[in-house]
Amino acid sequence: MPRLVPGLVPALAASALALTVALPAAAQSLLFLAEDVPAGLNYDGPAAAIPTSQTGMVNLMEPLFGYASAGENEDGIIVPNFDEFEGRLVESWDYDPDTLTWTLNLRQGVMGCNGAEFTADDVVYTFARAKSVSGAAPIGWFLSNVASIDGFTPDVFGDEAARELGDEVVALDDYTVQIRQSEPNALFLPVMTIFGLHIFDAEEMNANATDDDPWAHDYTNNVNVPSFGPYCLESWTKNEEIVFTANPDYYLGAPAIERVVMRRVPQSSNRVVVLQTGQAQLAQALTPREYDSLRDAAGVAVGGVTGNENLFVHMNFDVPPFDNPLVRQAVAHAMPYDQIIANGYFGQAERWPGVVPSGYPGFHLSDNQYDQDPDRAAELLAEAGYPNGEGLDAYGDAFALTYVAEKESTLGPIVNAIQTALREVGFPVTLNPIPQTQYGDRQLVQRDLPFAVNDQEKPIGVDAGYAIQLFFVSPEAGGLNNMVNYRNEDVDATWALARIEPDTDTRNAQVAEIQDQLMADVAWLPVVEYRTQWAFADDLNGMRWHPDNSVRFYDLSFE
Amino acid sequence: MLVRYIATRLVIGVAQLVGLVIAVFFLIRLLPADPVSRLVGLNPSAEAYAQAERQLGLDRPILTQLLHYLGLAPEEGPGLLQGSLGISWVTGSPIVEEIGRHLPVTIELITLSFLIAFVLAVPIGMLGALKPGGKADRGVFIYSLFAGSQPEFWWGLLFVYLFFFTLGVAPPPLGSLSPLTSPPPEITGMITVDALLAGRPDTFVEALHHLMLPVATLVFILSGPIIKMVRQNMVRALRSDFVLYAHCAGLPRWQVARYALRAAMAPSITLIGILYGFMLGGAVLVESVFSLSGIGQYSVRAVLSFDYPAIQGVVLIITGISLLIYLALDLIHAVIDPRVAY
Repeated sequence: MPRLVPGLVPALAASALALTVALPAAAQSLLFLAEDVPAGLNYDGPAAAIPTSQTGMVNLMEPLFGYASAGENEDGIIVPNFDEFEGRLVESWDYDPDTLTWTLNLRQGVMGCNGAEFTADDVVYTFARAKSVSGAAPIGWFLSNVASIDGFTPDVFGDEAARELGDEVVALDDYTVQIRQSEPNALFLPVMTIFGLHIFDAEEMNANATDDDPWAHDYTNNVNVPSFGPYCLESWTKNEEIVFTANPDYYLGAPAIERVVMRRVPQSSNRVVVLQTGQAQLAQALTPREYDSLRDAAGVAVGGVTGNENLFVHMNFDVPPFDNPLVRQAVAHAMPYDQIIANGYFGQAERWPGVVPSGYPGFHLSDNQYDQDPDRAAELLAEAGYPNGEGLDAYGDAFALTYVAEKESTLGPIVNAIQTALREVGFPVTLNPIPQTQYGDRQLVQRDLPFAVNDQEKPIGVDAGYAIQLFFVSPEAGGLNNMVNYRNEDVDATWALARIEPDTDTRNAQVAEIQDQLMADVAWLPVVEYRTQWAFADDLNGMRWHPDNSVRFYDLSFE
Repeated sequence: MLVRYIATRLVIGVAQLVGLVIAVFFLIRLLPADPVSRLVGLNPSAEAYAQAERQLGLDRPILTQLLHYLGLAPEEGPGLLQGSLGISWVTGSPIVEEIGRHLPVTIELITLSFLIAFVLAVPIGMLGALKPGGKADRGVFIYSLFAGSQPEFWWGLLFVYLFFFTLGVAPPPLGSLSPLTSPPPEITGMITVDALLAGRPDTFVEALHHLMLPVATLVFILSGPIIKMVRQNMVRALRSDFVLYAHCAGLPRWQVARYALRAAMAPSITLIGILYGFMLGGAVLVESVFSLSGIGQYSVRAVLSFDYPAIQGVVLIITGISLLIYLALDLIHAVIDPRVAY
């Protein structure tokens, strides 16, 4: 110990100087402050649903397809053109409607972080792993199933032989792959852009497989995810920090930012103050108030996009009196939309005129809209048999407005505004904050939440039909997350046609018809679409929105 | 005799731990949520739900799950008896490794805080007791009210705003080290100790600098009750018969004060021990404010995500440490109080 003492004094001085003077951003490095760091890098693993885990995956892995750019929005954020796909690991492609087969010509000379070259074997490996449903949450299988890839049926969960990849995905040579669908399905290309089907480096994955874990789940949960993405993993300490370094051999060119440190800073207020000092260059997951406070801060820019984040009111059809359409419409007319936009989101939100993100292909603007009109709400309530709300007390906790307690700082002002507005009409609304996991359980599994505010449903498949199948089709007809127990035979029947309709115009008309019905029934009560926002150094360029809301560091550069 | 006492206490401690482990195992399963739903967020189909349930082992009878957890069904994988606390349902990592990474961060933080709080609080408490109603005593009273008036995270955020954002004399609240500094090789998990072991004084100083504000926050909060306890016990000791006799015998004032302090220390050390055990999990808010990945943060995350193996592991480890602290307190009592014998 004594031998260290002489070094301490100069070290103390140097350290104090270095740390108390704001560190300028190194030209090619980025400090990114987030609410967490990846808990896992395995999209079939237990951490796949956590947004920051997805951020890790999309920066280390590479998709087959992506969306072309549609230019910048008013904030300078680049937005995708959902009508135009571009090949990423695929150079060109062809679809044969007679055999329902996609032929993918793969890009040559693509190198991964470990020096392996991308080939058709990597694609086949990725789909074989997905079909093995060997992970805790088999997202790869789910997306393949949604895209109607032949053989990716629920049979895989019961029949071990059904988990073997057959000739539905085959390598014709080193750079050509064919994938066969079981039926026409327009979701094939949108699904291929999603992180849950990004391509693994098969060679490296196999090198890290074991007899007990042949698909390298432990490795991807805890160590690394080998792929062909723009960044390579330098270090990763869960709950603390992950460091990415540029893949110099990336096929689209080496990233402009050579090193990215993603640091976990749990308190959003601390992300704000550190960003303001210039020591960090990018922050996410701030509250609307904090984003608003940074708009005029020196050296900081705030940008956002109306993407796929929204807030809606959930009324359960299985819980009276929400089985009464007049009550649902009365709630819709009592909703303080403008107040929520102004006070909840500081103007960074817009009325949501549908139940599908308004920028998604297939979105339809229905004539069935519900403006705030307390008089009309009172009339509807009286017509439903509850004049001035008399008799609603008999429904006990049905009007306990449930929301996620961890989001109190964002949702608190909103639920209070809703409570006040609805009470004025006669609804006996109380507030019921509960933990996120309990909310998820009651929403996804129990499906017994009577009345709730929800701001976390983002259909990752960019298509109105995908959103409809996910949220509004009955479970008996293949619905997946019908949290309000909505059942409409016409909707189910029309979707059954639209799902396999090869003609885009016909399919859009069918999907529009469904959206009209959903709005007439107030299947969900859409309230606002709020902007997905980031705060960043004002010399950081290239911010681009992707439908999974994860930042791609490859898009970024400093002036 | 002492060895027998320690052995008896350890045996009782192990029995307590086993009882606690089993109680926690069943209690967390009464929580009103299903951990499977978190896993299947993107794919909530019935098949995926069943798959996730199988992966977590929740499809088996609860007694089978318990036997597996305790390590009494080794054919299903290692359990407690084999030294395994299970695998996290959130990260897929072994719980032993995760706790081993998070616990040293908290131990480093609170040990440093208690050392400084102790060094400051004892003389201040003594001063207040030697001159009740004097300036020092009144100052301590006002400080105690002040420090206890707000929760620690509020003071932490205030310190960040004041010392980092406004005055620029503290580092940003970004954890144990600057993002630009590579950590020393992990030996103990405590950055300051590992930096010294690695012969990196600059990293040691930087780690101390980063600990400055979180430690100051905890010292600010912890010193109040310790000062009060020392003061009250000193006042009581100074009024006791043996101190009166010492005064009558003409012993110097400093020597009398030393005797009184020894008598006053026993309950104060008990308080410090209890507070230390409490702060193992209770420093969570300070950890959160300063982005320190301590065991408190880990516990909160485990509870919020219904990560049963992680919750069980944290409870087991913190309880085990607390039992050891209480045993150490009893032994210290025997050293400083001659009336206590084992």
